[in-house]
Parts: sequence; structure tokens; C-alpha cells
Amino acid sequence: MAKRSPVPLLFVLALAAVEAAPDSPSFRNDVLPVLSKAGCNSGPCHGALAGKNGFRLSLRGYDPVTDYFSLTREALGRRLVKMAPARSLILLKPTLTLPHGGGKRFDVDSPEYRVIADWIAAGAPAPKPGDPVIENIEVDPDKIVLHTPGDTVRISVRARFSDGSVRDVTRQTKFSSTNEGVVEVGDRGLVTAKGHGEGAVSVWYSSKVAFSRVTVPHERQLGPEVFGQAPRNNWVDDLVLAKLSELRIPPSPLCDDNTFIRRVYLDTLGVLPSRQDLSRFLGHTRGDRRARLIDSVLDRPEYVDYWAYKWSDLLLVSSRKLEKAAMWSYYDWIRHGVAENRPWDRFIEELVTATGSNLDNGAVNYWLIHQQPQEITENLSQAFLGISLTCARCHNHPLEKWTQDQYYGMANLVSRVRLKNGQAAGEVTQVPRPVGEVSHPRLGRPMPPQPLDAEALSLDDPADRRRHLARWLVGSEHFARSLVNRVWAHFFGRGVVDPEDDLRATNPASNEALLSALTRDFMDNGHDVKRLIRTILNSATYQLSSTGVPANRNDEEYFSHHRSRRLPAEVVLDAMSQVTEVPEEFEGYPLGTRALQLPETQVESYFLDSFGRPPRLTSGADERKGDANVAQVLHLINGGTLNRKLRAEGGAVDRLLELELPAPELVERVYESALSRRPSRPEVARLVSALDLEQASREGVEDLFWAVLTSKEFLFTH
Amino acid sequence: MLRLDADKPVSFCDGFNRRDFFHIGALSGLGLSLVDLYSLKALGSVDARKDPMNCIFLFLVGGPSQLDTWDMKPDAPAEIRGPFKPIPTNVDGIRISEIFPRMARHADKFSLVRSLYHDAAAVHDTGHQMMQTGRLFQAGMEHPHAGCVINKLRGPRGALPAHVLIPRPIGKTGGNMPHGQDAGYLGRALDPFVLNSDPSLPDFKVRDLLPPDYISANRLNRRRNLREIVDGVVGNFENSEDARLLDSSFHQAYTLISSDRAREAFDITLEDDAARDRYGRNKFGQSCLLARRLVERGVRFVTVNMFETVFNEITWDIHGSAPFSPISCYSDLVGPMFDNGFSSLVEDLKDRGMLENTLIVAMGEFGRTPKINPAGGRDHWPGCWTTVFAGGGIQGGRVVGESDEIGALPKDRPVTPAEVVATVYHLLGVDLETELDGPGGRPVPIVDYNVEPIHELI
Repeated sequence: MAKRSPVPLLFVLALAAVEAAPDSPSFRNDVLPVLSKAGCNSGPCHGALAGKNGFRLSLRGYDPVTDYFSLTREALGRRLVKMAPARSLILLKPTLTLPHGGGKRFDVDSPEYRVIADWIAAGAPAPKPGDPVIENIEVDPDKIVLHTPGDTVRISVRARFSDGSVRDVTRQTKFSSTNEGVVEVGDRGLVTAKGHGEGAVSVWYSSKVAFSRVTVPHERQLGPEVFGQAPRNNWVDDLVLAKLSELRIPPSPLCDDNTFIRRVYLDTLGVLPSRQDLSRFLGHTRGDRRARLIDSVLDRPEYVDYWAYKWSDLLLVSSRKLEKAAMWSYYDWIRHGVAENRPWDRFIEELVTATGSNLDNGAVNYWLIHQQPQEITENLSQAFLGISLTCARCHNHPLEKWTQDQYYGMANLVSRVRLKNGQAAGEVTQVPRPVGEVSHPRLGRPMPPQPLDAEALSLDDPADRRRHLARWLVGSEHFARSLVNRVWAHFFGRGVVDPEDDLRATNPASNEALLSALTRDFMDNGHDVKRLIRTILNSATYQLSSTGVPANRNDEEYFSHHRSRRLPAEVVLDAMSQVTEVPEEFEGYPLGTRALQLPETQVESYFLDSFGRPPRLTSGADERKGDANVAQVLHLINGGTLNRKLRAEGGAVDRLLELELPAPELVERVYESALSRRPSRPEVARLVSALDLEQASREGVEDLFWAVLTSKEFLFTH
Repeated sequence: MLRLDADKPVSFCDGFNRRDFFHIGALSGLGLSLVDLYSLKALGSVDARKDPMNCIFLFLVGGPSQLDTWDMKPDAPAEIRGPFKPIPTNVDGIRISEIFPRMARHADKFSLVRSLYHDAAAVHDTGHQMMQTGRLFQAGMEHPHAGCVINKLRGPRGALPAHVLIPRPIGKTGGNMPHGQDAGYLGRALDPFVLNSDPSLPDFKVRDLLPPDYISANRLNRRRNLREIVDGVVGNFENSEDARLLDSSFHQAYTLISSDRAREAFDITLEDDAARDRYGRNKFGQSCLLARRLVERGVRFVTVNMFETVFNEITWDIHGSAPFSPISCYSDLVGPMFDNGFSSLVEDLKDRGMLENTLIVAMGEFGRTPKINPAGGRDHWPGCWTTVFAGGGIQGGRVVGESDEIGALPKDRPVTPAEVVATVYHLLGVDLETELDGPGGRPVPIVDYNVEPIHELI
């Protein structure tokens, strides 16, 4: 790559001489947006790191000063011809007057052309530090309802600048649709409905992103009773039903009690209800028995197991990088936090500001897993904000508003950390240090430590930078929103924003009112995770049947019915152990340890791996795989895990054989323990006849268990 | 809307523009009845005459250096040309690196494209996506691997899966992006069958393919029957995508278990020792051999990953410093491994009369920097690299495209990854205008419009 020569003195003087006319186009606010919209500085074109055909621009114009230099001083100045703007390469190429690998970008004398030509004619004034900078953009309208596919509406975009000026920038804005099945958008902001449902048009001007929501309700007519009489237990339901009614999607009815207890146990505790749990619950008077069950479930010890496991996924507890003692200390810290229901903001604040020995303070281990300030920056944003900053490490984020400057402002908040080996095995002590900066690679100097879109510390401020970061982080609404969306996704199989950890501005929630209200409620009530879970479990929305009614069967995102899905790897394995009464053996752990009680994932288990246990390498929610595949099924059919449990002595198979039950009762027992319900009469009849179980043989009972434990009803939450 | 191309899209050989026939509405406008439609559909957008065609991808994970393999620049300065010398091949005018002595005897059977390039970020993951799906993943859209598209359009031949990936999928290579080795938006049911074990290990077998001895065929059947009864009542699951995936996985698993042919296909110990030695007693060599066995027995598409990561393993990724590989590994390890695996595969397929209907594409995700770096290695360079084609209707002994004098950029006939994938589809008899059901039912062409196969190869 060619070395950049310093700007000659003569050039600086020349620039000073050309004081731009007050209304001549600005390089920063007029010319660069034209180049961005035309795609000139996009990744595949001149925005590539190496440029294209010797002409390099910064990706989407993040570096106006260098771009200005490339345009005016490189290529022997042929890119701009001030005395004859039309002979400038920057106009000849994109109009295809001269051959151009990128094809035609705009026409001669088009508004885009005029902006550049006028700017050149005005002497090509350089970007100045005092240029007005963009503050925000507004889309009009920001909410659109279209009734029939084919209907259109035009949207416009206005930008507000730091000098108070407001301009229509629709023509320079890039548009895209988030859901092309519902809505399409043209180059000039013409929006066309394509199908029913909801979508959004995202608009992008300069570094700002905004969007306009587009709703195309289904054409079916629903009577007022559909929503008037729909089950409502709390405010969550009001917000869900409001959205469903807007889209004309009817909700399913509530699920039955057997389904409910199984669902709430598996989702909240990761275990099946025992036969006693089941009969106790069904023995209570109706009325508030579901609410009472929820209260008792939230107090059970398995709650701590499951949620400690869940946050250990997020916080990457693993002996891959940590010594055993350190891994345990980290896990115990998390587990303790769950057990006392430590407020989420305090919990993460402790993590972000942790100091001392990693064996005394488990939270310190977070700083051992990610040692580079860059790694910490990226993990913090991903895990606790649902924001992916990685792209901005090397250049402005190409799809988001985050700039490289912001990235290194963040990174510099975590640059003053030192790790020292301690006395004990695996001990590392984390000590703050008064100095240490991360340099911005392009500018070659550190940025003032600054949380995203928040107040910066000055570089010489002696304040503890991590404390500044932590206060901002846990106080931000985005932080609460990210957690709330994760918890919602846990219970519904899909976040209100999907994917659950992708909360960027251009990925709107399927029900913004719902997510906002949940977030507000969570913040107003002390970041209380258990309370949030209680609210969700008590909602009628959570308790809806998984059987869709015809008109809501295709709904995947508005929570009109419960979404059935395969249980997580650990839950399947634990449930198999529970039903067969044969615990799984994990090397190095006492017999009887359940998969969800394991502190980490570096514990050998083919079953867990093939069913999609996350390796805990990144905090991305997509590390956990919930899809069935052939290897899993082969393992169920031929593999050792389930077959060994069925053949083991002293388990449920033996116990049932000893009872010498009549065949129908045997089927009933297996159904109750595995599926939390009694089988129907035809089910019993068909199974008994297929089993030929007049005399209960061991093989017969094993096969019955096998069939139930590999059924969809068992493997799925529903 | 009911679409013509829902399952098996249609191609017209008589000059009609297929897009004119797109929707049922358009069809009825032309006076075609549903019966006509079905008879059209029976033609398929896949050419039945090419049904016997197979494809083997040898994915050279890490990115081989063009300058040290198939596009040498012996006249360039030392810091460009690198440590290896070119050797002649059995085709006049084609010279390749001395690290491939066996390959040099087969230049009449393979052809080189020396002008591959891509424009995306210079990380492994982007090239993985583009070389195997024809596209860079953007806006959350994950495109299917070419083998998954073939599976979708042609389905399996008999009990064996249509598409097998050996030995394991590509893991982390630094970019944290998908690698384009699954079915993407087509849905997981069309993911390849993944071997997940190393065929060079002495105790190699496909895990759980055989029932344990205490489960007889009768019991296997009884269990299956009982399971169907238990599942029978849960009609409410049927409309869930997850449930359908579980059903199809059970179906595929039982088909595999009950097929002697399938079991035999995976049993690499049935090959004689001499053959196993010839391929090389290493993971890549034995994977190539297994690929041949599978294709011979009906698998349509095999993807062999030469490596699964680029970290702490000797691979093509020769940055020169740890945790990556030094350039010398090309002559010590990686080069010979490839030379033996590839050459044996070509020889074997030729001897068995299968080379004509089996396309082999050996490719990396990018090339390497022309100038040797201070660590004595070469870094990522998507500006220009070489891909090898053999068999499957490819004319051997050709070189397509040329790079500049330092192998940095294509000098003529630049070729994109999409054209490689288009070439594969074309040779396997798939109409390039075929559209698949994308996210939200929106049609997605299998390759972008106007992308052509590399005609010079054919």
C-alpha cells in the first residue's frame, strides 16, 4: 500500500485562500452522502481496505479528511479539475463517460452530479473542524399501515445538524427493508406492501440510522369477541393482544393444567414434575392454582441450578481458559448471585468492577477469560447490550451507527487492568493500575474513555474508568432491555427482538410496546430477574396452548400461541435420567449430579454435544443449537446413553416390573412420569396390543420407555 | 401462491423465457391446465440425463498460496516467488509447484483457473461462504451450500444421504461467521450428513450407525412402531418446523440403519491396504478415499474439509508465525498430503470409469499476499488465487485466466466464486435460472442473475 505523504505546506496555504462561498456544498454533508448513496465507498468498491483500482475511500465515509485528500491530491489531481469540473474523474467515471468497473452510478446533470460539480466549481472546499455535524434524522411517517399488497406510500427523511439547520435528505438516504415478504422499498423511499404482517424500512443517512414501521394487517375479519374474551391475566397480555388485534391474528386458548405444569417445570427448573407434584397441583382448587404453582416453583432449588447454568453460558464459565479452582470460584459467584436473586444491575456491576484474587472474588475470572481490552469491549457489548461492535475494531461499523472512534473510546475504559499471578494454584490477582491506554489504530492516539453515546472522561481524569463504565452500563435502558429480551426468549423460544441478542437499531422488536413496558417494569423494580420471570409465567400469553388455531398457525413472532420446540440438551438428558431413575455419570462429579448442575461445559458427554450444548467460546446465543439432526437420532436409537439407562439395574424399569402391574397401568405410569399426563384409552389400547404385554417382560417395558422417551411429546416443550 | 418451482423448478429448452411461466396465474392465462402444469413439472429444472453426475469438493481450509502451488512466478524477485520451484507437467506449458510431483502427471485430467478473486473482507469465513454457496451472507440471509441445493433438487439416490460432509464441519477460523456448509435458508432438514469422526483412525466407524447386539431387528421394529403410536396423537406438533425436522431425522436415521449398502459404503476397512496407503494414511487422504467409496455407492455430493480450523494446526494458512503455519509446511506436510489425496482420487476415479461423471473441485477461500512478510509467511489475499477442477465434464489440460506478474491481481478473465458454483450447478445439470424458496417464501435464484459457468473449462 502506498505510503501517505504529508500534506504539502503549499496545499494548506492554497486551501486557506479558497474560502468557500457560504452556500456552496459541503464536502462532509453534501458530497460524501452522495458518494455513500451511490455506493462508491461501500465494501466491495472503493471502500474496501485496499481500495479499488488505486482509488481508496474510507468505508461509508467515516474519515472525511483522508477522503478529501484522496480525491484532491492523488492521481495527479485528475480526480478533480477545478477549472472544468465536468472533466474531473469523479464525474466522468460514475456517469460512465469514461469506462468504470463499477458501472454507471448516476447521470450527467442529475442532482447527484450537480452536488459534486457545484462543490468542485466552488473550489472544492475541504472539510473543516467547524462544519455542522449531523445530530439526528427523522423519518416521516415513522409508522405506516397499508391495507392491500400493492399499496404504496412515500417516506421522506429529514436531517438535523449541529448548527440547528434541518434539511430534506431523502434523495441521499439509503433505504432497505427488514422483511421483504411484507414490504419493499425503492431507491427514493417509495414503500410498497408485498404481503401481510409487519416489517420495517430502515433508512440510513450519514452515520445515522432510523426506521419506519410498516404494518399490513391480514384481510380476515375477526369479531370483537376474539380479543374481548381472550384470556388476560396481566398487562403483558394487554400489550400482546393489542398487537395481535392490529394485525388481525387471533390468539389460541389457554393450555390445560397438565401441559401447564410440565411447561413451567421444564422451562423454569429444567426438570419434569414428579407424579406427586402433579397430583398435588391437580388437587388444589382451581382459581389461583397456577399462580400458586408458579410461586412454589420459583422457590425450588432447581431454579438456582438452571439459572446459574444459564448465566454461566452467558459468562463463559469453562475450564478451557481457567484453572479448575478458578472455574469453580467463578461458577460459585454466579450461583450465589442467582440464589439470593441479586439485582441484575448489581450483579453485572460487580463483574465489571471486580478486583482482587480470582479465587476470593469469582467475578475477577471474567477478566481472565478476556484479557485484551478489545475482547472485553466486544464481549461486554454483546453479552449485556446485544450490540455487536466487532466490525468497528478496524473501521466504522458498515451496518450500524458505531464508529471506530466510539469503539476505542469504549476500549479505553477497560485499559487499566493488570493481572498478577497469585500464591495458590490457579490464582490470579486483578489490580487496577493508574496508567495504560489503548491506541486508536488509525489516529495513533488513545481516545478519551467514553461509553457508547455517553459522557466521556478526559484522558487525564484519575477516576476509576471501569467504575464509570459500570455505572453507565447498568444504568442504561439498553442494558435492561437486553436482559429482558433474553429472559423472554428463554420462555417463548424467540425474543421480542429476534435473534435474542441482536438489539441493533435496525433490527426492530416484533412488539415494541411490549418490550418497552417489560424493560420499564424491570428497571422500576430493581432489576429483579425473578420478578420478571414471575410476571411472564403468570401472563396468559405464556399459558396459551401450543395448538395453533388455523388463523394463527403461521405466526412465528407475535406470541399468538405457544411455540413448541425441542428441549435444550441438558434438560433432555436430565429428564431421561429422571424418568428412568438412572443418573448420568459425569467424570469427576459425584453420581447424581444432573447436567444442569455442571458448572462448565468441558465435561465429556457425547449426548450433550450432539444435542447442541454450547461450547462457551463466545457469548452469542446461537452457540446453543436446538435443531434435531441425524446424529442425535442415531444416538437415541443405537447409542449408549438412553439404552444404558433402560438396561441398568435398579432403575424405573426394575421398579415397575417388581410391581407386577397390569399392562394398562404400566402404560399409565410411564406416561405420567415422562409426559405428565394420563394416556387416553385408545393410546393404552394401541400400545398394549403392539407390546403384546400380557406378561410384562423386561424387554417390553424397556421398549415402551424407549418409545415414550424418544417421542416428540417428550423431547419437546409444548 | 402456488408456484411452479416449489419443489422441482422447470426449465424450458424451447426458447420460452421461464419467467413468463412463473405463477399459476400466468399459466392459466396461457390456457394451461393443472394437468399440463404437472406434466411440465415432471420435466424438472434439473436435466435428467445428468442425474448420474456427482461432485466432490476438496476444501483446502486456510487458503493455499497461489504463488507456491499452481501459479508460480519463477522470474519474480525472491520475496515474491518464494522458496519453491516450478516443475513441468504432462501437458506442455503447464507448470506447477515441485510440492505436487504426482499431480504433475495428471495435468491432462485437470484444469486450473488462475484468476479467482473476491471483494469481501479478507477473512477465511467470507471466502468459505462464497466458494461453497456462491454468495456472501448479508442481511441475515444464509445461503445453502451447493451440495444442499443438489439435495433439495435431486434428493438422495436410495438409502445413502445425497450430501455427506467429512470429516467435520469447518469450525472457528477467526471471523465468527457461518462457513456456508449447511442448508441455510433451505432449512436444517437439508443439512449434509456429517461424519463427525476421522476415517484415518484405526477404530473409525460412523457413530451409532449399528444397533447394539442386544437390540435385535425385531426389537428395533417394535420400538419404531411403539414410537409411532406415542407420536400419533400429537397432531398439534405437526405444523412446527422443529417437529418436522425431528421426523425427517428419524426417517433418515432408520433408512441408514436398515441399509446394508449404507453401512458398507462407510466401511473404509473394506479397502485394501495398498489403496489406503496410496491415498495417504492421514485424515485428508482417508477422507478422499471415503469420498470415492461414497460417490461410488450413490452419494451425489461429498464435501471434504482438509482442515477444521487454522489455529494451532499445520494448514495452508501460512502467516509464518504461531498459532499459524510456516511456509515450509507446504513441502513437509500439507503439500504431500494434498498431492497424494488428490492424485489418488483422480487416478482411482479414472480407473473405475467414474471420472467423467464426478466433478472434483479443489479450492481454498483466498490466495496469499504476493510479498513474503517479515515472519517469512504470507498473509490473506483475496485479490487473486487458483482453483483446480477435474472430471465431471471438465476438459483437462487447460488454464483459464492469468494473474499479473506477481500473482496479485487477475490480468485477464477475472473469475468470481459465484462462477465456480455456477459451473458446479451447470455440470450437475441444474438450470441456473432455478429459484428456491427463500426466507418468507420469496424466490431466490440459485446463483445471481447473469452469473455464467466458466465456459472455457467445458
